[in-house]
Amino acid sequence: MLQEPFANGNSFIHNLDPRIRILFAFFFAIIVATTWHLSALLWAFFFVVVVFVLTKLNMRDILKRILVVNTFIVLLVIILPFSYPGQVIYALGPLTLTKQGFFYALYIFLKSNLILTCVILLLSTTSIFSLAHALHHLHVPSKLVQLIFFTFRYIHVIYRQYQKLMRAVKLRCFTPKTNIYTYKTYAYLVASLLIKSYDRSERVYKAMVCRGFQGTFPVFRHFKMTTKDRLLSMAATIYLLFLAILAWK
Amino acid sequence: MHISDGILSVPVLVTGAILTAGGTALGLKRLRHETVPQTAILSSAFFVASLIHVPLGPSSVHLILNGLAGIILGWITFPALLIALFLQTILFQFGGLTTLGVNTFNMAFPGVIAYFICHPLLKIGKPHSITLAGILAAVIGISLAGLFVALELVFTGQGFIPVAKLVLVAHVPVIIIEAIITAVILNFLHKAKPEILGVDK
Amino acid sequence: MEVIKLEDISFAYPRGKIVLHGLNFSLKKGERVGIMGPNGTGKTTFLQIIVGLLKPQAGRVVIMGKERQTETDFYEVRSKIGFMFQDPDDQLFCPTVAEEIAFGPLNLGIPRQEVAKIVSRTLGLVGLAGFEDRVTYKLSGGEKRLVALASLLAMQPEVLLLDEPTGDLDPQNIKRLVSILSRLSLSYLIVSHDKQFLQQVTQKQFWFEDGRFLPLDTFHP
Repeated sequence: MLQEPFANGNSFIHNLDPRIRILFAFFFAIIVATTWHLSALLWAFFFVVVVFVLTKLNMRDILKRILVVNTFIVLLVIILPFSYPGQVIYALGPLTLTKQGFFYALYIFLKSNLILTCVILLLSTTSIFSLAHALHHLHVPSKLVQLIFFTFRYIHVIYRQYQKLMRAVKLRCFTPKTNIYTYKTYAYLVASLLIKSYDRSERVYKAMVCRGFQGTFPVFRHFKMTTKDRLLSMAATIYLLFLAILAWK
Repeated sequence: MHISDGILSVPVLVTGAILTAGGTALGLKRLRHETVPQTAILSSAFFVASLIHVPLGPSSVHLILNGLAGIILGWITFPALLIALFLQTILFQFGGLTTLGVNTFNMAFPGVIAYFICHPLLKIGKPHSITLAGILAAVIGISLAGLFVALELVFTGQGFIPVAKLVLVAHVPVIIIEAIITAVILNFLHKAKPEILGVDK
Repeated sequence: MEVIKLEDISFAYPRGKIVLHGLNFSLKKGERVGIMGPNGTGKTTFLQIIVGLLKPQAGRVVIMGKERQTETDFYEVRSKIGFMFQDPDDQLFCPTVAEEIAFGPLNLGIPRQEVAKIVSRTLGLVGLAGFEDRVTYKLSGGEKRLVALASLLAMQPEVLLLDEPTGDLDPQNIKRLVSILSRLSLSYLIVSHDKQFLQQVTQKQFWFEDGRFLPLDTFHP
């Protein structure tokens, strides 16, 4: 569940400076999310395909991921053509399908999935730790970056703790059902997770103080931009400008 | 419920981003450097809690607990949930990049309101007032979150009204489950570890 | 010379029972001491008082010949006395092993190039050469333990305090820890429930109960 299945590749994209990838994904998402021009979406699609080939990822893994997140979008896409006001092109009893609604739904479907895929290809191919590190270099407030580091680090410890508790509860023959008793059991589980985490946070803090922590985090390693990274970020900027012109003309 | 990229209109996205930026700035100001590890580890616990699915009839719903997070973290709920949503976007693609602001606001602002309403009740310290605080935290947290999602859809376009109604209805059972669970958790914490709730016994 | 000297220490947790009452203890330079005792008698509390994580209500904490009271006093103490926690997950919080080990030295203001050397030297010392880029939370229990030890050794301490270091180790890894410890030229204080381990790595062992230290060989629990 908490693995980073796409992060461990070794491809052109995987080796790209995470700062470039964050900035690119961010601007790409903004442009695509706000456009109403099919030509911009086609160019965005073309780009996503190119990046996909470069990541050398397995098509089926990515499609599986996209399918899972599409439930709400699909619900929207089914309802919207009938609820959107406009020129009626098909009527089925009280339900009326409008042309505007149909295209609106189509755009939403395309835009959502293009951005989604871009996030998988560019951001999920980096470890969270390098992303946080890159955000630090992009001048995101240091406390926020530290929160990302710590939160992600301890999600693993606490998730393991949750699994242990759950296993122990099941070994004592607990079967989750829709009743108060079940909800109370889950409440106890969460409360003890919170207490354990609180106690742990005190020990973690003490352990850091023992190693000279005074409130600031020293950074041990820094990113280096290579010539390849520089060239690529120039190409990416040109592409984004082109896309923005198409998108907002 | 987190809204994906590509659905909402620009004014809605921008408003959400500005409000979340403000809330996050306030939260970070209240977050001292020394308490970063503590806040982060509690947010990890909330992140894990949000992965827990509890049964509801033949299906299941996952816990949200934004009201409880609000009670414990106050304004720091904003940065904590911003990070949780960022991690969810990268790890599972729940939510989206451009909707990070909107989604954070939907979850965190009700949490902050719950903080201001429920804290006085916790200070009273009687079992009834704590139970009431738990119920209120869940009702405020979930119903406002649902309401915000519905409003954002309606502001984006009139065509979203049926979906918005559906979203509101879907939140009702969640409110009931979360009310029970939050009330029990608060009583447990108040007994075993009142420091977490910021009340001295 | 005594590196650690506690005089008449009393300590009670807020809203809790009294844990230590009039405790005296001293550790001389080069001494290696083991402590055993029942659960919940304040062994960890005792260790935390030495490094100033807990402040006693009464008594004197004298470290390296100086009485220590303020946070600033203890900041210096902590750079000289390495404290290993019971659970390595409490101690290891950085993404990679290299950053974990660099954390202490960087806090002490050691320049980056120097730190890089310290990292690889310390990893070699605990037999984890080449582990720099490994992700800490994906290590095995035994490896985590050794990285935690390395993160302390990187600060070049004069004394180590180890709180139940063998709790999560298999016999193979205990052997490894024994050989690492015996190669170090440090004083140390180990709290453990493993009598055999203590006898292998320490010269003196005590039984700690009711806030008092009794020689282990005269005491048979």
